[in-house]
Amino acid sequence: MKITQSACIAAVAALGAVALAGCGSDNNTTSSTSSTSGTTSSAGSSSSSGSDTGTAAADCPSGTLNAEGSSAQKNAFEEVVAAYNEKCPDLTVNYNPSGSGTGVKQFNAGLVDFAGSDSALKTEEKDGVIEVDAAKKRCGSDAWNLPMVVGPISVAYNLPGVDKVVLTPALLSGIFQGEITTWNDAKIAAANPGVTLPGTAIKPFFRSDESGTTDNFTKYLKAAGGDAWKADPGKVWTGKGEGKEKSSGVADAVKSTEGGVTYVEWSYAKDNGLSMAQIDNGSGAVELTADSVGKFIAAAQADGQGNDLRLKLDYATKEAGAYPIGLVTYEIVCSKNSDAAKQAAIKSFLGFFAQGDTQKSLEDLGYAPLPADLQTKVAAAVAALS
Amino acid sequence: MSTVADVLAGADAAPVDLTGRSGTRALRDGLARVLMWTAFAVAVVPLVWILWTVAAEGGRLLIHSTWWTNSQVGVTARRVGGGATHAIQGTLLQAGVTALISVPIGVLTAVYLVEYGRGRVARLVSFMVGILTGVPSIVAGLFIYAVFMTTFGMQRAAIFVCLALTLLMIPTIVRSTEEMLKLVPNDLREASYALGVPKWKTISAVVLPTAFSGIVTGILLGLARIMGETAPLLILGPYTKAITANLFGGNMATLPTMINQDRDQAVTMPAYDRVWAAALTLILLILVLNLLGRVIGPRSKV
Repeated sequence: MKITQSACIAAVAALGAVALAGCGSDNNTTSSTSSTSGTTSSAGSSSSSGSDTGTAAADCPSGTLNAEGSSAQKNAFEEVVAAYNEKCPDLTVNYNPSGSGTGVKQFNAGLVDFAGSDSALKTEEKDGVIEVDAAKKRCGSDAWNLPMVVGPISVAYNLPGVDKVVLTPALLSGIFQGEITTWNDAKIAAANPGVTLPGTAIKPFFRSDESGTTDNFTKYLKAAGGDAWKADPGKVWTGKGEGKEKSSGVADAVKSTEGGVTYVEWSYAKDNGLSMAQIDNGSGAVELTADSVGKFIAAAQADGQGNDLRLKLDYATKEAGAYPIGLVTYEIVCSKNSDAAKQAAIKSFLGFFAQGDTQKSLEDLGYAPLPADLQTKVAAAVAALS
Repeated sequence: MSTVADVLAGADAAPVDLTGRSGTRALRDGLARVLMWTAFAVAVVPLVWILWTVAAEGGRLLIHSTWWTNSQVGVTARRVGGGATHAIQGTLLQAGVTALISVPIGVLTAVYLVEYGRGRVARLVSFMVGILTGVPSIVAGLFIYAVFMTTFGMQRAAIFVCLALTLLMIPTIVRSTEEMLKLVPNDLREASYALGVPKWKTISAVVLPTAFSGIVTGILLGLARIMGETAPLLILGPYTKAITANLFGGNMATLPTMINQDRDQAVTMPAYDRVWAAALTLILLILVLNLLGRVIGPRSKV
């Protein structure tokens, strides 16, 4: 009889745990102010104002959207989903930041509703697959690349007492290839007249994992630095320095190492309070701001047909006041979808994402809003989804 | 060199002191003792360190009631608040369903191996279980992915996570149950047979009840093992912030995927604290299961 007793205890405990969990609540609207330690974040207040601009709840779809892809846009995506749900609480939007390549693969396999990718669908064959064709086959229509999130890449450094450093593509190539080893090197000093640079050794940090940030940064070095950068651009780092995992890893390393320097998404440099170098592409030093990055994106050429808004970024741009290192995350969607309800939900959510107000709110998070011109085009493309 | 016999034989020989210890022996004893304690310390230091770090970083959030009652809907990396109910529920649900599938299969396989299995088939089954024990969890996940997603074109769902975890849980259950059944004294079986009880009834009414608590302990330990499993979840069970109980469609949150979702956040973000808190919650859940196993274990009649 003892046996049945202990069986009962185990069963009751297991059932009880599940039953208890079943009482949970998805409603966090009030709890964010009342329940927690009292630190209300600035993003929290800015997003609540977003609900004022919300339109009638009548065009709110319900259901679930699953998206997967680039980790660069994860924070922006999450904030937008939260702001969207204040307007339309019935649509659940999940984002799985597993990386651009995985996102595109899952999209083409029909496992997610749309993908987020730091590069547009590839038109050449890679690993036996032409991404554009695979996407077309999955959708039964063209897939569109919609630029949605602009992520500037900062060159963050740690030099106490030095709050302004100007670097050129050639200097960056030298630093990240181990040719320039001290901060007061004559070449750096020449680009920084009037700045007292210490003789601290330069300690470059790079991303040890495969990363779209590395890809874009090396693309920039290759395009803007001319022959200075030897290796081919790619997701795997080929320069010198010490590897750290993920953006948080390199940001932490620079924060704790005097003389450290790295390339990292703007948001991470901001959140860690790191100093950021100004970049001189040949037409003067440019500070990293939402505006200066916007100019860089606005200078990009359209590379697609009609509503397929793939961009060709001009890293070597000489446009005055344009900050030339950044990446654009595209949302990759089917232009026509046989599931009308799904497409309506995608349209509603991405339409909200592409709104001017939403884009503007991303600036607090370390992203740059889409330039006005491009933003109108993206909004029009979203409206044309059917 | 004088032996004990010599000493006893020659009464006039000097008496040998048998009570004291030689210096070298004492030295060796001391050395072994020090080695043993050092090894013990080396083994325990990382454990205590991990537990301490996780508890120190994640403990703060766990005392809020919302941690246990709310999900993460509407909470982003920059905002404080929300809880882990969705993930706790997902982990328990998936573990429960996994147990539901693997316990009958595992226990019955063990019964076959111990009570019936003779010859080539039994050896083959035993060999296969051995191989299954060595299958890394990522392989189990990829196998299910290849079969159901790639071949049959199905959507990812929690049930497939359970299937992958089943592959990992069955061998642990078979092995532990086998050991428990082998411990049941043969006298009991023979006594039962002598009374004219058929074999199936002997197994179900004598052998299994005798080994019951041991089997339950094994199952709980197996559960604890699969609850912390991450690799199949990353492939088959994408994360969501909402509470869901649908095993057959859509995403379902679990504690490991919740940790993975925000693990690369900057230290200054509120989400960073939630990652530690989720880790602590997972450790606590598994601790409770292990303790449950310990409590039931000594009640074993074997």
